[in-house]
Amino acid sequence: MIEWPHWMAIVVLAPLSGAVLTPIVSLRDRRIAPWFALATMTVTSVAALFLIMRVAQEGPFSYPLGAWTPPYGIELRFDEFSAAISVVCLVGSLAILCSVRYTEWLRELAKPRIPYYYALMLLNLGGMIGFMITGDLFNLFVFLEILSLSGYALVAVSGERTAEMAAFKYLLMGAISSLLVLFSVGIIFGITGSLNMVDVTTRLASVAADATMPAVLALGALTIGFMVKAAIFPVHVWLPDAHAIAPSPISAVLSGLVVKVGIIGMLRVYQIYYGSGILDLTVLNQVLLWLGAISIVMGAFFAIFQDDIKLMLAYSTISNIGYIVMGLGLSTNLSVIGGAVHVFNHALIKATLFLAAGAFIYRTGYRTLTDLRGIGRAMPLTSIALSIGAVSIVGIPPTAGFLCKWYIALGAFEADQPMFGFALIFGALFIFIYYIRMVNAFYFQEPIHKEVLRVEEAPLTMLGPILLLAALCLIMGILGRIPLTFIEPAALRMLAPLGG
Amino acid sequence: MKNAAVASLLVIFAIPLLIAVAELPPFGDPDAPIHTHISARYIEQGVEEAGAENLVTGVLLNYRGFDTFGEVTVIFTALAAALAVLLTSGGVQYFQEDRPPAPPKGADESERPPTPVSPVVLFVVRLLAPFIGIFAAFVILHGHVTPGGGFQGGAILGAMFIVLTIVLGAGKVRPRLPEPLARWLQGAAPLSFVLIGALGVAFTGFYLGFPPEHSLHLVRELMMVVLEIGIGVGGAAIFARIFLAMEAD
Amino acid sequence: MLEALWHNIDYVASVVLFCIGLYILIAKNNLIKKFLGLNIMETAVFAFIVTIGVIEGGDAPIMGHGAQAPFHSPIPHALVLTGIVVAVSTTALALSLIIRIYRQCGTIEADELREME
Repeated sequence: MIEWPHWMAIVVLAPLSGAVLTPIVSLRDRRIAPWFALATMTVTSVAALFLIMRVAQEGPFSYPLGAWTPPYGIELRFDEFSAAISVVCLVGSLAILCSVRYTEWLRELAKPRIPYYYALMLLNLGGMIGFMITGDLFNLFVFLEILSLSGYALVAVSGERTAEMAAFKYLLMGAISSLLVLFSVGIIFGITGSLNMVDVTTRLASVAADATMPAVLALGALTIGFMVKAAIFPVHVWLPDAHAIAPSPISAVLSGLVVKVGIIGMLRVYQIYYGSGILDLTVLNQVLLWLGAISIVMGAFFAIFQDDIKLMLAYSTISNIGYIVMGLGLSTNLSVIGGAVHVFNHALIKATLFLAAGAFIYRTGYRTLTDLRGIGRAMPLTSIALSIGAVSIVGIPPTAGFLCKWYIALGAFEADQPMFGFALIFGALFIFIYYIRMVNAFYFQEPIHKEVLRVEEAPLTMLGPILLLAALCLIMGILGRIPLTFIEPAALRMLAPLGG
Repeated sequence: MKNAAVASLLVIFAIPLLIAVAELPPFGDPDAPIHTHISARYIEQGVEEAGAENLVTGVLLNYRGFDTFGEVTVIFTALAAALAVLLTSGGVQYFQEDRPPAPPKGADESERPPTPVSPVVLFVVRLLAPFIGIFAAFVILHGHVTPGGGFQGGAILGAMFIVLTIVLGAGKVRPRLPEPLARWLQGAAPLSFVLIGALGVAFTGFYLGFPPEHSLHLVRELMMVVLEIGIGVGGAAIFARIFLAMEAD
Repeated sequence: MLEALWHNIDYVASVVLFCIGLYILIAKNNLIKKFLGLNIMETAVFAFIVTIGVIEGGDAPIMGHGAQAPFHSPIPHALVLTGIVVAVSTTALALSLIIRIYRQCGTIEADELREME
């Protein structure tokens, strides 16, 4: 069963074809749409599970589409980094489950849009899965476009004026970044004549040794392109609006998963460059380090001053992506492992936080910390889940956020860059402040609105996912070593030159 | 002043690009890696291996068929995205039972006198529409031999619908297709890829494989034609739907 | 350097077109014009990708009657076809958003929209 090769195709095809079928099956009754989407994601999750078990057993494997031997056709390649599809399936399914009530409640979201809402959600998730398992540069771009295009639309789906403007801003920046990625793919194709990642790696080393400037430009443009997708400091401006205004389940997907696409893209591209060894990546790593550090401090700093709970979480995403990029920039084994695992853990944590925040908004209609005072007494379970998420995002030991940040910090000291290690701890301190603010508002301050105290606990389709995610935050903290050791071979492989 | 600043900034931005393109393999050089590596094999063996005289179609449908699957999914994403952004509660969907009464906006529009269409335009469009349709069908069906293919033909077909809607419709004639059929057609392109691709598993053991044996070349050609039709019809249905949604808004 | 640039003047044209598009995107105020700038940038990239597949004195890669070697590389054509479709899709979504923004705000000038926020 595990060896069956076609899981690789199914894991992409199921969500994408499910998305196409969603408007058709929900023709009579739009309430079918979420359950159909959920069924699709279940199939996908099963396929993902088998794939991850296989990669744990035998290491990376590939699937030649159309039976063409690579590099002549498109190759799907599953390695340890691709295991991030597990969290795509998990968070995606739970976000769909939360959407069932949320979309019906959201007044501005016109009802005929609902089937397309789920179709876009599936397209977004399927695009991400395809992005993570493809072994072909141009195919990477195609999936990048599927997931970005659906992401822009999902921001605007609520139909509020601000949401549409945020979506347009996101679309403009996202389209430029996609264009940069396409441009670089063109350059790489021009100097190597190939699009398959493994083949490009070997050919960059041999064919393109005399064409280093195009290779540098391609690396730079790809880095900028993926940095826009990941919302690193100078190109983060689209993120706060888009993630704060989108409906909460969408925010969970965008903030937990879609920004990580930029990181996975960087991992893939740097693997090519590390492998071919034609460039010295020290300068690039320095740039990543600095931008990562600035993102950490700036994101955390702005988060402190936000009253809107979702805006606060959006800024904290910038800060956390900063950690991951810093881990990449340090380019030691420990820091890359820490960064890659934080991709996974941050998705869990941020999904917990956004879904919990969404549950508050769903029940009370308020979204600022001031208005939500005292909610901890009315919605105890959701509040506890949110607190667990907040503890995790600070990185306090028994939770999911701790080990990966610890690894990145260790990497900083190992790479003899203790300053960045301190920047990391400094950022965690800032985050700790806003965590205190949140808990203070929910549990200890006098409520402004008396009706906040009378609201019920979140409905089951929301509470279940939130509690499950919160529990996973704790479990991943306790079993934190498992993903770290799992990802280690991929990190080692990435940093090593080819054949070395 | 601001524009001058932007322009000078862009000149600075262009310099690294220019330095890089100067080092690219010279334009038209037959020894460039792009011509000696993968392309070389496609050009030498593409017709027998991939089964299309038009190598671009061969690359699109066979060698890099998965990209094309992604591509048609992107078109479908555009449809879902445009509808998710444009549909309103009183919107263009007629089959919903809980449809609220038509908004007052629609009433205003029906009161406005319809813009008269010039008889010349009406005549020309009516005359040309069948030919446009035939041309689209030719481009779709003949795409693996001559220049053309599903996307190009789909664009022509979609354009025909749009022209007809503008000239003949003028607000009164709305989607003529029953909604269920329209939705199947909109999903035609990705679904045909899924089905034909699954057929490929039976022939070659891998998704999207086309039988390489010479004895099966008819099957292979048929599979390609089905894909092209799927792409063409699906693309046209989606373009027309997006246009209707934009117009209705 | 300059000589190489002169020989690669076709690539230089793409770069220039790219910068023109970027200029429009940044400098113009109207959202539709901004998006047209982006479309020009996209065209520049497509032109670039098609150009790298050109071979001196080549023929279109269609193996019908009278086709003669050498042939242009077919891959960039396929890539650009995909790219164009992606660009069309992005444009469709962008125009939908602009329509909605216009209906809700009554303007599509970026500075007026910013004031409204």
